[in-house]
Amino acid sequence: MTKNKVSIIGAGNVGATATYYIAEKVIADLVMVDIEGGMTRAKALDFLHAGPLRGYDVDIVGSEDYAAIEGSSVVVVTAGVARKPGMDRMDLLKINAGIVKQAAQAIAEHAPNAVVIVVSNPLDIMCHVALRTTGFDLRRVIGMAGILDSTRFRFFVAEHLGCALSSVHAMVLGGHGDQMVPLPRLTTVGGVPITELMDADTIARLCDRTRKGGAEIVALLKTGSAYYAPAASAAEMVEAIVTDRKHLSPCAAYLRGEYGIHDLFIGVPVILGRNGVGRIIELELTDEEHKELLVSAEAVRKGVEELATFFTAT
Amino acid sequence: MKRISIIGAGNVGTNTAFFIAEQGASKVLMVDIKDGTAAGKALDLMEAGPVRGYASSIRGTAQIEDITGSDVVIVAAGRVRRPGEGREDLYRDNAATVQAIARDIRRLTPGAVVINMVEPIDLMTLLIQETLECDRFKVMGVGGLLSSTRLRHLVSRALGVSPREATALIIGPHHPSMTFLRDTVRVSGIPAAALLGESHLDRLIGEALSAGDTILEMSQRSTAYYAPSAAAATLVDAIVSDSKALLPVSARCEGEYGVEGLAIGVPAFVGEHGVTRILELDLSPADRAAFDKGAAMLKTAHDQLAAGAA
Repeated sequence: MTKNKVSIIGAGNVGATATYYIAEKVIADLVMVDIEGGMTRAKALDFLHAGPLRGYDVDIVGSEDYAAIEGSSVVVVTAGVARKPGMDRMDLLKINAGIVKQAAQAIAEHAPNAVVIVVSNPLDIMCHVALRTTGFDLRRVIGMAGILDSTRFRFFVAEHLGCALSSVHAMVLGGHGDQMVPLPRLTTVGGVPITELMDADTIARLCDRTRKGGAEIVALLKTGSAYYAPAASAAEMVEAIVTDRKHLSPCAAYLRGEYGIHDLFIGVPVILGRNGVGRIIELELTDEEHKELLVSAEAVRKGVEELATFFTAT
Repeated sequence: MKRISIIGAGNVGTNTAFFIAEQGASKVLMVDIKDGTAAGKALDLMEAGPVRGYASSIRGTAQIEDITGSDVVIVAAGRVRRPGEGREDLYRDNAATVQAIARDIRRLTPGAVVINMVEPIDLMTLLIQETLECDRFKVMGVGGLLSSTRLRHLVSRALGVSPREATALIIGPHHPSMTFLRDTVRVSGIPAAALLGESHLDRLIGEALSAGDTILEMSQRSTAYYAPSAAAATLVDAIVSDSKALLPVSARCEGEYGVEGLAIGVPAFVGEHGVTRILELDLSPADRAAFDKGAAMLKTAHDQLAAGAA
């Protein structure tokens, strides 16, 4: 069997931790690419040294040269500057769009058959940058957001109920911002909707905490943002694609009319497999839920329109 | 469920919590004097939990009092080495921090098994044990295990085999002069020297011993932390599961290998109560000479630094 190759662009905390999580699954050899070549090689070596103790035996390479991603079946784009306290995701747009564009050009050149997972923020907009720059098939560019937002929601529910993390499943739709749409009636403990297990106020509080999940970590750390949960979520997506697991989970996918939304990346349930987004699941939403989804979509559309100026300018 | 406290939520402390969460079920507490740091990192880890299937809980705090009742305490505070700096130079900066933490452990959770990750490893391990005035086998330092995993990686890579079946024991002070016990460097029991040739193995041993410096020079801003954290998590696993794994650790010797009253790298069985036994091996004349030289150097450093600080 030919070994799969997965590349991670950006070897900061999110990229390096995602590399580790993927390594531990023992499903692919790994390449980290970052403009800071020395730091990236050092991290790759440190990971290899930990391998005998952690039981993974894949190869891990660090480089500053994009050519190292040659032949990757999946490329994860984590490069970009991190959000600082008080900074809105939109503030990041201009800086990170430039970084993601450069990464996407390299992917188109060196790994033209790869599925691209975008992690850089503001997420939904960076997906557009990646799609437009690579010119890839729509199904092969996917954003990591819904799995992260839902794993946070799952933790908050498990913590509140005092139950095992693994018993909880959650569904969160929309853009990866303050207007994301957690769906309590599709968030369950062993299949039982939380609407049967908690009062409405508690659910509203947990939904709100989910929407502000990233900001809560930034406020605590003061000098950094979350990376374990984002990295674990990206690694889940990589696994689903590499192993063709047909994993049903919320991801940012390009919509062409689904949910009444056109030409926009937005978080919806998809089936992830070898070719990327295998299928988009159209849930029947209540009027209220649908309205919230459209509000969230409008926020993303605004960012994309701002971005259009950026694209014509360069 | 065992309660594991990690003091210091920098790269080493946090990734140790991370690896512990990845490997089983424990109650992990991260403590850092910087308010919010441990809490934020613990929350981030817990939010990864549903996806990773964690059975552990991880909490962060700035209150050292919360370590009360811990079964294991990992000391990962203090500063790390700067490029070009010798391990000895760290002593003065870290001794005060480590001693204060050891007093807290003594006050709050005196029965805990303590794992030291602060450099210089052997001297700080001894300092903790002396401050705790506890059974010498309750305190261990992460030293040789790190060099060991590095050599296992290098040997298996050179042979093109998986590193999981590779072994390598190492003794002596945690220093580039550490001594690999050549005969224990094997893959599935087959001596690596027979497969690679003596000179190739020598080269890999040299590479493993200087790997920490290599990483620091490459990175130019950070010492290694994944492999050190993985080494600490391996010790925790041996303690939590009471596995009696044979691992190279820094432990206080009282006559073993001819060393009295110093913590130094030795092979030891590790279980629920810490070191259950130091394994005394017959050393080859060359290994014996190298070990004695390292032990003498450590003794000199100890007498100079520890006496000066007291």
